[in-house]
Amino acid sequence: MRIGKSPLVLVLTLAALSLQCGKKEEVGEAPKEEGAAPAVAYQPTGDEGTITGVVNFTGQPPQRRRIQMDADPVCAQKNPSALSEDVIVNNGKLQNVFVYVKSGLEKYSFSVPSEEPVLDQNGCMYRPRVLGVMAGQNLKIITSDPTNHNIHPTPKNNPEWNVNQPPGSEPIIRSFPRPEVMIPVKCNQHPWMRAYVGVLRHPFHAVSREDGSFEIKGLPPGEYEIEAWHERYGAQVAKVTVGAKETKQIEFTYAAGQAYRPGSLRLMPALVLPCCEKTMARAAK
Amino acid sequence: MEREMVERENPMGVEEPDPITSRSMSGALLIASLVLVGTLIWALYDEVYGRRPWKAMQREFVERYTAYLKRVKPRQATTEAALKQSPEYRKLEQELTAARQAVAPRLREIDRELAEIERQLEAIRPVFQDARAKIGALTYEWEVAGSERAKARKMREIEEAKRGPFRVRLIAADGEGKNEEWRLTFDELQRRFLALQERKAQLVSERARLLEPVVEIEKKMNQYLQDNLVGLDQKQIDGLLRKMETFKIELKQIHVQDGDLVDRCISCHVGILEPLPLTEQIMGRKAFVSHPNPALLRIHNPERFGCSPCHGGNGRATTNVVKAHGLNKHWLWPLYKPENYEAGCVQCHFRDRVLEGAEVFNLGRDLYELKGCVGCHRYEGYDRETDALLEVRKTIRQLNLERAENEREIRRALRAADQATDDREARRLYALAETLRVKNSQIADRLEQLELQAKYLMQDQKKVGPNLKEVRLKLRKEWIPVWIENPHAFRPTTKMPRFRLSREEVQAISAYLWQTALRDPLPTQPPGDPIRGRELFETRGCLACHSIGEGAQTIGGTFAANLSRVGEKVNYDYLVRWIHNPRERTRPYCPNERRDIGPEDYAKRGLPFRFDLNHSKCPSCGSEMQVQQMTVMPSLRLSWQEARDIASFLMTQRRSGVSYPPAPFMDDPKLRARGAQLIRRYGCAGCHEISGFEEEPKIGTELTREGSKPIEQLDFGLLAREAKRQGWYNHKGFIENKLRSPDIYDRGKLKAPEDRLRMPNPNLTEEEIRALTTFLIGSVNATLPPSYYYTPDDQRKDIQEGWWIIKKYNCMGCHTIMPGQRSVLSTLPRYQDPDWKDQLPPSLIGEGARVRPDWLARFLENPALSETNLERNGVREYLKARMPTFYFSPNEIRILVRFFEALSAQAQPYIEPKLEPITEMERALARQLFTSPAAPCLRCHMTGDPAHDQKATAPNFLIARERLKPGWTARWMIDPQAISPGTAMPSGLFRREGDRWVFAGPLPEAFKAYPGDHVDLLVRYMFQLTAEEQRRLLAGTRTASRARPSGMRLAVERPPSRRGGT
Repeated sequence: MRIGKSPLVLVLTLAALSLQCGKKEEVGEAPKEEGAAPAVAYQPTGDEGTITGVVNFTGQPPQRRRIQMDADPVCAQKNPSALSEDVIVNNGKLQNVFVYVKSGLEKYSFSVPSEEPVLDQNGCMYRPRVLGVMAGQNLKIITSDPTNHNIHPTPKNNPEWNVNQPPGSEPIIRSFPRPEVMIPVKCNQHPWMRAYVGVLRHPFHAVSREDGSFEIKGLPPGEYEIEAWHERYGAQVAKVTVGAKETKQIEFTYAAGQAYRPGSLRLMPALVLPCCEKTMARAAK
Repeated sequence: MEREMVERENPMGVEEPDPITSRSMSGALLIASLVLVGTLIWALYDEVYGRRPWKAMQREFVERYTAYLKRVKPRQATTEAALKQSPEYRKLEQELTAARQAVAPRLREIDRELAEIERQLEAIRPVFQDARAKIGALTYEWEVAGSERAKARKMREIEEAKRGPFRVRLIAADGEGKNEEWRLTFDELQRRFLALQERKAQLVSERARLLEPVVEIEKKMNQYLQDNLVGLDQKQIDGLLRKMETFKIELKQIHVQDGDLVDRCISCHVGILEPLPLTEQIMGRKAFVSHPNPALLRIHNPERFGCSPCHGGNGRATTNVVKAHGLNKHWLWPLYKPENYEAGCVQCHFRDRVLEGAEVFNLGRDLYELKGCVGCHRYEGYDRETDALLEVRKTIRQLNLERAENEREIRRALRAADQATDDREARRLYALAETLRVKNSQIADRLEQLELQAKYLMQDQKKVGPNLKEVRLKLRKEWIPVWIENPHAFRPTTKMPRFRLSREEVQAISAYLWQTALRDPLPTQPPGDPIRGRELFETRGCLACHSIGEGAQTIGGTFAANLSRVGEKVNYDYLVRWIHNPRERTRPYCPNERRDIGPEDYAKRGLPFRFDLNHSKCPSCGSEMQVQQMTVMPSLRLSWQEARDIASFLMTQRRSGVSYPPAPFMDDPKLRARGAQLIRRYGCAGCHEISGFEEEPKIGTELTREGSKPIEQLDFGLLAREAKRQGWYNHKGFIENKLRSPDIYDRGKLKAPEDRLRMPNPNLTEEEIRALTTFLIGSVNATLPPSYYYTPDDQRKDIQEGWWIIKKYNCMGCHTIMPGQRSVLSTLPRYQDPDWKDQLPPSLIGEGARVRPDWLARFLENPALSETNLERNGVREYLKARMPTFYFSPNEIRILVRFFEALSAQAQPYIEPKLEPITEMERALARQLFTSPAAPCLRCHMTGDPAHDQKATAPNFLIARERLKPGWTARWMIDPQAISPGTAMPSGLFRREGDRWVFAGPLPEAFKAYPGDHVDLLVRYMFQLTAEEQRRLLAGTRTASRARPSGMRLAVERPPSRRGGT
């Protein structure tokens, strides 16, 4: 009896074993397709709040310089007394500061406004100097000058382009596909011309006016980080909570002497070696 | 004895049982048969499953892939449906309907007529073919008929046959009408048949013509779907599903006859060639992914390349993963690990210095050169100049022998001819002598070239490290032993490796170097302005190769030394000379006399002590000398003042409070012999020029085939067992650990100092170790036939060769040469500023199409493009960065020019295309366009007016003719952003109007009637521009703009207000 049983057991075991080996793993679950759920399109509720504020400037602002436009007599004639616009301070208020919601809106998406902000080339200067658009929103670039311009944005995260715009030509309509704060815009023929375009994934931005004031309207209630950006004085961040239908006041203050200029000859932050400054000064003598 | 024992054990004398009757073998038999059955089952199992794991794999793949396809299909269907609803697609659909309707009536007519013709043809064709065959046969019989009579008879038969009549029965078209019957002669039949054929062809082509627009739209619709649908469409997915249904479980393999390659990898990696991107996430198994780099497979067709040539492993093995991946013992080519994938490139790409897209390979190649591996270890391809120089010298020797032999032969022949008895024989011998004389003149031509080659090769030969004959002039004495002891302590990123030296050894080596160094005087330099020096240092381009700053503060390139502490070690006077021209040498070296030649040697011959590339012959023996420093550092053509300023700035680069102990031992003559011994032992001369060690061989082992050295030949020392246990007993493990700590295989051994491993520690990062290991384990004895090697001999060869020079001199520090590559300068913080972006050196993509090769050769030789005004850029004077003089030999210039020409696929040699001469009328028009305020050309381009040129951002038009190719110039003017994105020149200056390009701005009045192409006109004008014409232009701009800003009137000629020089 014992004898008869053994081979059967063996065969059965082997059979079971082979089945075991042949058995496949379960086909894996359907893989997750996308990462996080995309932001929901924001529907206005009527509870939107507002942020208003002002940008102060303390200390002695740098003197505005005369811009030499001799290189292009057309410009010199049209705009004979142009002054530099990188720092404009009126009564202790700083103009042309780009103020925008830096974070707090991630859960929403916003439709791209159909209006097209205008960037005018007038008197061989950009008007306005600082402006904001939404990613994908059209920017309308017009020329009011009887001379040739070219528009050359130099972004980091967006495609770079450089297009000629002769006098009297059609507006150039372009958009930037990705958010980027800020994109410098220049004209290679008139090196003094400079504009900055802030590209955001939402429409909540403002530029401080002559009196330093700004206003961001239609904000969904929530907690935000608001950043102020100035081309010479850099960025500052303020935290603010906006309740339903609330108007919040914030202030930014820049101080003279904090200006930085990336790439300027005298000050390259990466090269400042504390040990060597003194030696250099001594050697210079 | 034994028996006794047994008997004693059986004292009772009980009867022994009969083994046959009382013992049963059934137990043993049972076990044996069970084992037998078990073995059989095992064998069967093994045969079906055990040794064929791919069967289960394939089954599983089919299951998973089918499931995935089914999951994807509806989703793709929805997107496809949505796409078909899109306005663009709808519009195309409408267009399609419209187009179809437009041609429908005519199409119907044609189809009706075609049907009728086809009906008739069907009836006629068999009758005609029969008749033709019959008559053909008769004709043949006539041709071969023997007699005239027979011929005549046959002719009659032919005519008879042709008369017919042939009956053609036409079946009524609608089946109801009357059937017709034609009775025709052969000629009529033939005529009718041919006419029908012809008409049919006409109609068919007309039909195709009519349908052209319809087909065009259909194509567009398909294209639209393809462009917008990510992944496959329904048809394709169905195709794949069908493929899975009919999938046969079998051993799958790629077999390439050439090279006898059998790769069965696809038996398990079934999805590797699937068109859908399959990831591990989708397929649930890493083995089932599709190839992650399909672009690579397009270049390396798997049908021809298989898998194992690139990946390693054992392509034939299928029984288990370990064997298939070649990880079993004694298999020489294990599968490369993911971090070393690019090792697979080396085998066939051994000639390539740079491979587009293979970053690890490229880094490995770079490091081998940069870190000075090449100083000790030969590797084919590196050290090209030394190898070539040896070859050239050998050939020169051979040719000289051949020439002498010919001379002897000539003399013999002449003598024999003079005394020949036979005129014919004499003529033959004179002719022979003449031939040999001419041959010798040919040899002389070759020798001249070879001598030049030898000179150039010597000029191009470089060393990794500096010339140590000049340490006395260059360095602070006490710093030397500190540096030799541990270079990384002073400069962590230096290419100088750390040797494991005792204090005594450091002292001896320092003493030798110090005592044998040159003692020539060095002119003293007045101090410079360090502030200006810093500005120059940051803007002239030094940072493309050098870095400065320590730790996270470091900026700049990694090609050359970090200069943060250079002020601690260097002598100011020497530094000024070095910056002014790093190739300047204190004394030339004569390889023939094996010594440095000094003024005294020149004086003996009454010669001035003057040596440079044009005065490179040894005054004593006349052979070529090394007249330059063997460094790749170029001359930036700085003024002495600029050199002093930069040197003064660099002298400030030091840590304060660092002191170096005095080193009196360096003057101890007793240490000198010991020092020489150590220098030889450690191979210092591999990287440095050292007095007395100029002709030293490399001390390391050659690494060209390191990856396929039998593992037993790699000495793991006492670590072999540990390596086996931990799984790194292979080439990868050996090399990685060796690079990490080069003395690791000495561990635990008792060795005399001179027997210890000599390799110094190169202080590499993990990334660098990975890259070098990848490169070295890929350096194998090829397993493939030579037809696989990437050794093109067309223009691609020029590209291969060019990369060696590009990398040798770090051209990519300043220039973009490959699309997508960024230069070192362009990544520096300064050049992120929009204004400084215009200060970046030009991109060289398309350089071969842009500039003329003859000009490029001249420019590379002398980038100032001037014999007198050297301290400038020849083309872009406004750039603060300076294109240096590299002192390329004509050899290297040729390689570089060919490289750029080849990259742009230019035909060689360059033949200048003829340009239509410009007419007076056209000249006036072009002048107007240039001077109109709407045309910005002269605002940015240099004009020769120094005030203007400082602010310019583009080259002078005057050099266009000798520099540029007209075709490229036209393309550049139309869309510069496409050629060099981000360039200062805007696109959109011209617009397309019909078949010509027209200036996009407001046109001057006179221009409106001009019918030609404006771009073409401007190119021709530019290429025929003279200095005189340019002055007129400039005067024109000023007057025009001053008088009437928007004026378009013709420029008034005025003398130029300012002129650049005389």
